[in-house]
Amino acid sequence: MNLGIYERSTLHSNLFVVWNELVKNMKFLMAYPVIFVFWAIFPIFWFIPFIFQGQAFVGGLQSASFAQISGTGDYVSFIVIGAVLNSYVNTLLYGMGESIRREAVQGTLDYVFAAPCNKAYVLIGKALSESVSSTIFATSQLTISMLLFGMTFTLEVLLPVFFIVILLILGLYGLSLVLAAFTLRYKQSHDVSETIGYFFYIFSPVRYPIESLPSWAQIIGKLIPLTYALIIIRSIMLLGTSLSDMYLEILALLIIDAILIIVGFYMFNWMEEKTKKSGTISHH
Amino acid sequence: MINKTNEFFSIQTTNLTKRFAKKKHKGVLGLLKRNQSRKTDKEKTKVTVALNKISIKIRPGELFGLLGPNGSGKTTMIKCLSTILIPDEGTITVNGFDVQKETSMVRASLGMVVGGERTLYWKLTARDNLTYFASLYKMQRKYARKRVEELLEIFHLSDRADERLEDYSTGMRQKVAIARALLHDPPILLLDEPTLGLDPGFSRQIRRQIKELSEKHGKTVLLTTHYMDEADKLCDRVAFINNGNIVAVDTPNILKTMVKEKENVEITVYEPPADIERHIRSLVPDAEVIRLIPGNEEGNPSRIKIIGGTAEENVGKIIDSLRQKKVRICSLNVGVPTLEDVFIKLTGTKLTEGGIQ
Repeated sequence: MNLGIYERSTLHSNLFVVWNELVKNMKFLMAYPVIFVFWAIFPIFWFIPFIFQGQAFVGGLQSASFAQISGTGDYVSFIVIGAVLNSYVNTLLYGMGESIRREAVQGTLDYVFAAPCNKAYVLIGKALSESVSSTIFATSQLTISMLLFGMTFTLEVLLPVFFIVILLILGLYGLSLVLAAFTLRYKQSHDVSETIGYFFYIFSPVRYPIESLPSWAQIIGKLIPLTYALIIIRSIMLLGTSLSDMYLEILALLIIDAILIIVGFYMFNWMEEKTKKSGTISHH
Repeated sequence: MINKTNEFFSIQTTNLTKRFAKKKHKGVLGLLKRNQSRKTDKEKTKVTVALNKISIKIRPGELFGLLGPNGSGKTTMIKCLSTILIPDEGTITVNGFDVQKETSMVRASLGMVVGGERTLYWKLTARDNLTYFASLYKMQRKYARKRVEELLEIFHLSDRADERLEDYSTGMRQKVAIARALLHDPPILLLDEPTLGLDPGFSRQIRRQIKELSEKHGKTVLLTTHYMDEADKLCDRVAFINNGNIVAVDTPNILKTMVKEKENVEITVYEPPADIERHIRSLVPDAEVIRLIPGNEEGNPSRIKIIGGTAEENVGKIIDSLRQKKVRICSLNVGVPTLEDVFIKLTGTKLTEGGIQ
């Protein structure tokens, strides 16, 4: 059979798909610089009022009662870490669904689905681009917070923190695949991603230690990957705990990641099949 | 697919059927009506047959036209062939591969232009667009770069390859869309209305390129269009599709013999009265077909087509009568039959405005 210059998939060709998807999405981001500046700076304004509120309550930047529950009296750093990690949730959950929707609006989704490459690599590329942009935004927010509130961290915490951020991103990939599947079938997932975002915000220790929640809510919180990422990263950055001491939390995070990724791919393939039967891939 | 006579077909469909089910929207008031809720799901669903038991065979290197008005099933057919729509019944083989079982091989065998210029990333450059899609066709980075440069050269886009597509004209974007279809040098091309919305100059260029792809490079081309003239000039064979049914398949010349013995008179007029068809019928009662093809808002006049009977003999009578009715006559043509005449004869339906050139 004549197949033109078709080649079988190789690791190199698959990585080329991921790379090009990443580059494409980063170029889109750069094409709209206002969005870039917004996400790099604006989320800080969402948590600054909480810090001032805390200062008003305890009369300083340290709180003994807060230390009794969380292990650290430095509630400012506690809030900043929570807010920065939570911004990964916002951008990743919103980003993947929106990316699929954008492709449908542009009319390019048909072409992506009609190409012979494995779509998993396209999705990985999309998720990777969201992760890169999230990391740029998070770094910017953290740097500004350090300048504003005089927060300091040692460089040696960077590597273990980065490792945990990757584990968090993996879990969020799984969820964003579910949202991408929703977008494929129902043409938008913004409301669902907002709901999940708020769900995480309430049941994960973003603004307060998980111990502050009622016991039933703590159980829900322990099913969320962000909870473990926050507990581990705060322990490393604020309490000086080593990664090996947190092996149970890391294991829990890995298990949740695996479940979410499997469910995500299953949902995506299922919705893709349904959409191809109904002929609505390019609808938006 | 190899058939009993060992003939290989680039594209073969057998009893291809696709239905679309749409739930009827009841509206807010409809929700309140009790009788609505008693209807079964089947009653609430409207089923449209987009493709009805379509069987076609396209030979390697053939330029095959699928002609029909808007909504006739052309794009649905292309989507089924390109694996982005799953048919309800029937089989499809593309380049010898089963569309449902060997999806990846089918995709590698096809290049497609569906939806035209809108289906590209306008915020990216032509080079970025082509490089991205090259990666989706499993091409190695080094080869992809070389191939992209080649295509930019072929389509005379090299000078503006690093400009965003949002700065391109419609015709240039369409060239990028066709270049994308050729990235992986596929043996089969699916071109859905490739000249739609282009000015005459770009349309001519695109048609010339399509002809070259078939004649010089041996590509099998399935071209869908509602421009009958385009199909007549380009295609080796054409199939007429109407309401999801194939009504005829043959070479343009053979199809035109269906109306060849009939005289063909075409009068272009401005603002004809509503009963014009009936009026002309009274003047030429033996005419086989009398159709009014309305003009459009852009100022194109309406056309009256009269096929068969004693149309030519009665031209004078028709003109006098139209003048009496104060109809402004733009032009009169007595000519050889076109594919459009055949289509009108076979389906009894008019083409849409866009189909008239």
